[in-house]
Amino acid sequence: MFRRAPVITGTGIICAAGCGVAAVWESVRANRSGLGPLTLFSSPRYANHLVGQVRENVDKFAGNVRGSRSDKLSWIAASEALAAAGLDAGFGKINPARVGVMLGATVGGMLCTEIFLTALLRENKHRFDPLRFHECAGAADLCAKKIGALGPVATLSTACSAGAMAILAAAELIEQGEADLMLAGAGDSLSRLTLNGFGSLLLLDPNGCRPFDARRTGISLGEGAAMLVIEAEETAIARGAKILARLAGWGASCDAFHATAPQAEGRGALAAMQRALERGQLQPGEIDFVSAHGTATPDNDAMESRALKKLFGGAVPPVASVKRFFGHTLAASGAIKAVLAVQSLREQAVPGTPGFEVADEKLSLEPVKEFCAQPVSRILSNSFGFGGNNVALVFERTDSKSSILNPQSAIKNQSFAVLGVGVVSAAGNSLAEIAATFRSGGAVTSSFAVPAISPTALAKVYAAGEFAAEQFIEPAKRRKLSRLQQLALVAARKSFSPKLAKTVAPEKICVAVGTGLGSLNDTAAFVENMILKDERAPRPSLFTSSVHNSLASQIAIELNFSGLNSTPIQRDISFETALWQGATELTSGRAELAVVGAADELNQYPLAAGIRWGWWHESSPEIRPFAGALKNRERPLPGEGGAVVTLGRAQYAASPLAFVSAIRIGRSENQNAETEARWILETLARDGIAVSELDLLLTGANGLAQPDDFYRAIPESLSKLAGKKIACGAYKHACGAHHSASAFGFVTAVGLVRGEIAPEFCTADKITLPGACRTVVLFTFSPTGTKGMCCIRA
Amino acid sequence: MESLIEELKTKIIAGFNLEGVTPADINPDEPIFGTGLELDSIDALELVAILESDYGIVITERAVADKAFASLRALAEFVAANRT
Repeated sequence: MFRRAPVITGTGIICAAGCGVAAVWESVRANRSGLGPLTLFSSPRYANHLVGQVRENVDKFAGNVRGSRSDKLSWIAASEALAAAGLDAGFGKINPARVGVMLGATVGGMLCTEIFLTALLRENKHRFDPLRFHECAGAADLCAKKIGALGPVATLSTACSAGAMAILAAAELIEQGEADLMLAGAGDSLSRLTLNGFGSLLLLDPNGCRPFDARRTGISLGEGAAMLVIEAEETAIARGAKILARLAGWGASCDAFHATAPQAEGRGALAAMQRALERGQLQPGEIDFVSAHGTATPDNDAMESRALKKLFGGAVPPVASVKRFFGHTLAASGAIKAVLAVQSLREQAVPGTPGFEVADEKLSLEPVKEFCAQPVSRILSNSFGFGGNNVALVFERTDSKSSILNPQSAIKNQSFAVLGVGVVSAAGNSLAEIAATFRSGGAVTSSFAVPAISPTALAKVYAAGEFAAEQFIEPAKRRKLSRLQQLALVAARKSFSPKLAKTVAPEKICVAVGTGLGSLNDTAAFVENMILKDERAPRPSLFTSSVHNSLASQIAIELNFSGLNSTPIQRDISFETALWQGATELTSGRAELAVVGAADELNQYPLAAGIRWGWWHESSPEIRPFAGALKNRERPLPGEGGAVVTLGRAQYAASPLAFVSAIRIGRSENQNAETEARWILETLARDGIAVSELDLLLTGANGLAQPDDFYRAIPESLSKLAGKKIACGAYKHACGAHHSASAFGFVTAVGLVRGEIAPEFCTADKITLPGACRTVVLFTFSPTGTKGMCCIRA
Repeated sequence: MESLIEELKTKIIAGFNLEGVTPADINPDEPIFGTGLELDSIDALELVAILESDYGIVITERAVADKAFASLRALAEFVAANRT
């Protein structure tokens, strides 16, 4: 099997325990907690809670950076990591196309959104600008732009394991040969949403968390960021980089059990740890230290203790939880722990567990109390997130055995069967309905109330209609799910034949369902309630829906899929990132089936902002790709919906709908058709597809001159190379403009190659192809430069 | 106490959006959670929010909630003793 060992050549960190690896390590050495009073914003309900707030002037440290506090924290940590790796002056001989960014996030710009909503709801002031920084993808986009990365760039949400999941994904990209160097990690700021959210779950300890202590009652919330420069060992050696540690193993799993509570026996946690060891070809006895998730909630620490006992038997190595040094920093947690693990390996010393005093007899596990020097060759670091999204990572010293096995050529000849598609959209909720909508010229818009700016304001949108959730989800379960969760779950159920569950074990089924913005309506309701009621009676079910990865984890819970579970949140390429994650699990054989997709919903606030910014107005035209009808500041009308597809390895392909290959994500600095034509060509070639096979390039064209002219020029370039006419297609006239539109595009492509949708209804100038449309490339380019593609064939 | 029990039943059915459940279906002496109503730990926390918004009772520790939610009758007694 092909393997390129990922090594770590730079680390950076900022958190309540200090700014910079040296400062944080000094706090760790002194066993000194960085928890303190909350001064970042006022919170009547939690004013007396100790929190892990970063005390440095984040704006100043971040320098000339525009973005949310999370974005700035991320960039501060990234700058340090890049400098430590000797890359602060640029990448030298490293090809930027081989450099990527993979980050985790949960909070993103929520702090900015809270400022906007407070001004709106309290003072009726329409200051929409902070909403520009709402999205969790901000930090990855910022870092990628700053360093000029032109390789894979994405953001993943798996709640409190997202930082570790990002490191895992970066390691996959290195191992696959898709990138030589990745910036990986996560940053999350404090926010009122998370404080009130964890408060509503009764999971906060006002006096500071006490991991593994008999008296523990909950977490302390914190903020911060940590970044790692991860490189392929051979290229790191070639450029003379100092190797700090090696990433020896990684594993992910899903409890498939509950939205917030861990499975009590630690079934999923154990599976993630076992997979990490298997991946590194390691035995439990080769682990010298465990950096526990150790949040100090009664359930987590009990579950984690049980899982560790099961893994290590009677010989559990020293265990510590570092949570009281800086609080639970959510997505950043796994990344901060990774940086500290690297530091432990270098310093040959392990952190203690501040906050722990009284052993809990029920746990039969006593953590390391104080910092101590000890020989340490390998560290297992655990991260567990809401929805049972578990990730375990193993870091090892560089003088230990190398895990490079049989280096050979990387990605090629991957092709997966599309076993089912499920869709909910303005164009309809099945392939047949969508085909009919295309024939009629596109979907019909409807009105959508925007009370935030006017009692009478009605916007035109491409709304998803009723999707008969009651036929797919039991009432007892449905009442607790947000509309978007229901929408994604319905699409997943439609895509997944129950027969498959009888032939494939649950742990061999992974779920990657992305979203640009998540369950916006429940998130908004939680924050509105918080602002208007002065934080009284926060609603836990709205909070759990607000967590992005509740989309993928709910699917896993309902359908009992316990393989990797992730929710990519990378704007317009959330779907493509999900597709890449699913394909990665299939290629490696860790999964036999991958349930991948993306979903987004309409909400009044982004609409209100768009109306204020002049994007949409009463006479906004409906989307007509390539027609160039939109002017000046206008944008294509927004839509919503989702699509989920079940992919399988060839042996499940008794009667597949289609095949998908050439799955890739990347980034460009600007819109250049020649560059993208070459990228598409290269990606097709490595999966053995000749450009002459291509019939149609299906794009996100939306009626704006840019990107439509750019999109249209790509197949023109490809046509010259292919010596035949390749058509340019579009689908947003059927589903509206939204972050998950390309998931709808995938279903459209399946319809095209199956002959159920005629190309003339998707193409510029209503082109009729000379023959059947058998090979379609779906290409998506997000306004921030991230891009994704895949090739769908009959 | 009986009228408070009936009031709480109504609030639980409405607050949890329990389709097809009537007050008569809820036995006031059975545990509220983990029984036939299919209510789970998130519902228990939703009930904490309802107690705060409707009766001014602020619960911050899970142990307090667990005890108060032993049965609907126990809950009614807890509400009667702590409402503000």
